[in-house]
Amino acid sequence: MANAAGASGKGVGLAQTVQTSEKDLEQIRELMRTRYPYRDHEEAQELILSACQDVQHLLGWVPHDAAEIIADHLGTTPNRVFGMLTFYADFRTAPPGNHFMLLCHGTACYVGGSQRLIEDLGSRYGIGGDETTADGELTVQIVNGCLGVCDLAPVIQFDHHDYFGHLDVEKFNEAIAEVIKRGPAERHHDTH
Amino acid sequence: MDQPNDTMTLTDRRAFETLAKRLSDEWDELHDGSRWVISVGISECSIAKGAQHTFDHLRLKLEDSGLRYTLRRVGCGGWCWAEPFVTVSGPGLPSILYANVDADRVPDLVSSMQRGIPLFDLAVGVEGDTPHGDLRPLKEHPFFAIQKRVLFENCGVIDPESIEDYIARGGYSSWLKVLHDMSPQDVIEEMKIANVRGRGGAGFPAGIKWESARQARAEPKFVAINSHEGEPNVYKDRRLIESDPHLILEGILIACYAVGAHRGYNYVGGEHVMALARFKKAVQQAVDYGLIGDNVLGTGFDVEVRTRAGGGAYICGEGSALMFSVMGERGQPRTKPPRSVEEGLWRRPTMLNNTESIATVSLVVRNGGDWYAAMGTEKSKGTKLITMQGPLKRLGVVEVEMGANLKDLIFNVYGGMKDGYEFKGIQTGGVSAGALTEDQLDVPVDFDSLTSLGGMLGSGGFVVFDKSVCAVEFARYLQAFNRYESCSKCTPCRLGNPALVEIVDRMRLGSARSTDLMLIEQASKHVIELSLCGLGQVAPMPLLGMIKAYRDEFDAHINGTCPTGTCPMHQTAGMALAADG
Repeated sequence: MANAAGASGKGVGLAQTVQTSEKDLEQIRELMRTRYPYRDHEEAQELILSACQDVQHLLGWVPHDAAEIIADHLGTTPNRVFGMLTFYADFRTAPPGNHFMLLCHGTACYVGGSQRLIEDLGSRYGIGGDETTADGELTVQIVNGCLGVCDLAPVIQFDHHDYFGHLDVEKFNEAIAEVIKRGPAERHHDTH
Repeated sequence: MDQPNDTMTLTDRRAFETLAKRLSDEWDELHDGSRWVISVGISECSIAKGAQHTFDHLRLKLEDSGLRYTLRRVGCGGWCWAEPFVTVSGPGLPSILYANVDADRVPDLVSSMQRGIPLFDLAVGVEGDTPHGDLRPLKEHPFFAIQKRVLFENCGVIDPESIEDYIARGGYSSWLKVLHDMSPQDVIEEMKIANVRGRGGAGFPAGIKWESARQARAEPKFVAINSHEGEPNVYKDRRLIESDPHLILEGILIACYAVGAHRGYNYVGGEHVMALARFKKAVQQAVDYGLIGDNVLGTGFDVEVRTRAGGGAYICGEGSALMFSVMGERGQPRTKPPRSVEEGLWRRPTMLNNTESIATVSLVVRNGGDWYAAMGTEKSKGTKLITMQGPLKRLGVVEVEMGANLKDLIFNVYGGMKDGYEFKGIQTGGVSAGALTEDQLDVPVDFDSLTSLGGMLGSGGFVVFDKSVCAVEFARYLQAFNRYESCSKCTPCRLGNPALVEIVDRMRLGSARSTDLMLIEQASKHVIELSLCGLGQVAPMPLLGMIKAYRDEFDAHINGTCPTGTCPMHQTAGMALAADG
């Protein structure tokens, strides 16, 4: 991975090659049918964001095909759904790597040195926020808000549940190595 | 507390009162000292520190312990520093709070129960007024000594996923009282007497807002709650929702009744997964009991509550942006007037309250507006939830009366600086105001006092920083936050904030010009005066505050040196900008 410097796979290229499986799409259709009933057009529009969140929880990103299913079900256009996906920071329109890291860059983490972790990501792994390493192991999202566990600052979260806290650059790299060593993360997560 | 498999739908007041009496009796019975009651705090923050492992280990160990016990899940008590925490009461022992009970300490804890003695090395203190041997009452502990836990009373005490626990502790009695004994105007009067000022940061009197919503003529009307909380280092609302969701829900119901709305919304940040899940569950439980729905308890009042998830855009904490987001649009603010209370969701009158404000409502109804107004200062009534971060000894959420002394909070409640760190300053008002220096700390924490010093109460988020933090770099961080979060709708904010970051970067890189401070002042004036919304209008405030507090450091950077030695002076721009990701 150390050789990956400068060769950041932004994931944009990946999006063109990754096919969403019919099984995934059927799961999303099922999710829409069972969890997203609505009484009127107003309520349907209110559900767009939540639907995007749920799809991302299931797949780790929101593929174009899935955005179309959401749009179809809620009586709107893929353009409208994509407008949301690109405005709101939570969403990814390209598949993440084997592991997904949230790097908290809230004020408490900043004061504790999260800036140095971000710099290390750039120099050692060749990526910044919302990017994936060239070997496809790791996608990082820098959290501009806060993970809300300031007691562990500076803190990162892997694959939605695994926290590593009180980090310096050395511990940060140990955490990354440890998580990658475990093999690809379980992809599917509960929807809310 | 055991959950009934089939929830009985309550049809009238008497049915509710019978249920409340039974649940309250069961609560008392559980805590009568005849059995061990072990409560583990399970919330997003404690799970991050291993609380679920502690819980699972306790379940296994207790099964084989031969003890008569009940193992419970509770919410977060605000004491992040003590997590994972466990509260234990048992035969002959008061309720004791244990801190940092990692899974590997579970055997010790269970064996201490078997011996009928406290596990002294993990014990923080005992609940109540009486010491137990060497264990002092919690209220004497510096973290608790000046706290006034009103909104947080049930947090860390009840199971947040149990409506029965909430009802057992007096929950929903205010909702019943309002429905049966109070007119909408009575409720509004009580809110006015309480003089609750909006906890979102602006401090607008809630009672007056409620009255304008009541008087708005268009129908239908809506109530919306801002639980977005996208600000860095502020997590009070999500802990409150995770730990006592029904408190928020009951407030929403009462607000709907008072203003004549039949639908309430809670807009929760999409990244607050557990808060969302627990709030949705709370709504479902209240629906199942018939506390929400058509013709609630036979009173003829119809009400519905919808939970809506955000998408990680800080701007959606702004009122009009929030409403666009709820309606499935990009969260970009609009020009006001019309105000939300005239034209909000679906162009109908919408009353928007902050989570912390709405949490006060059921308590004001239950205890009276005078009770609430007796707390706090003359102009800032009640209590305030505070989150304070940085290199301090104890971190967490505390609830204090308005007017608590800032210095007391930093150095007593939060324990002062960690060893090896020296206090430099404290950032106030999240990312919307200036920092205060050491000589400015003797100040009451309320709406007006901090503002007069160039700080701000805001949503009660403070960050202490130490002498290793460079004021210029910190200012850059805060400015970059606001640049990133600009919704890009209006030019002064979209272009002004990047320009400000660029100027600060020149300073960090040692290539600043002598006119740069003046340039910052001019550009900031532009952003502040010409931006459309509240975010833009305060975006340069942290930078300006930092310059005011640490002018000498900015001057030093202009002259080519970084006093803390942390800025990448004389390095390439690419290196310095790597921070942007």
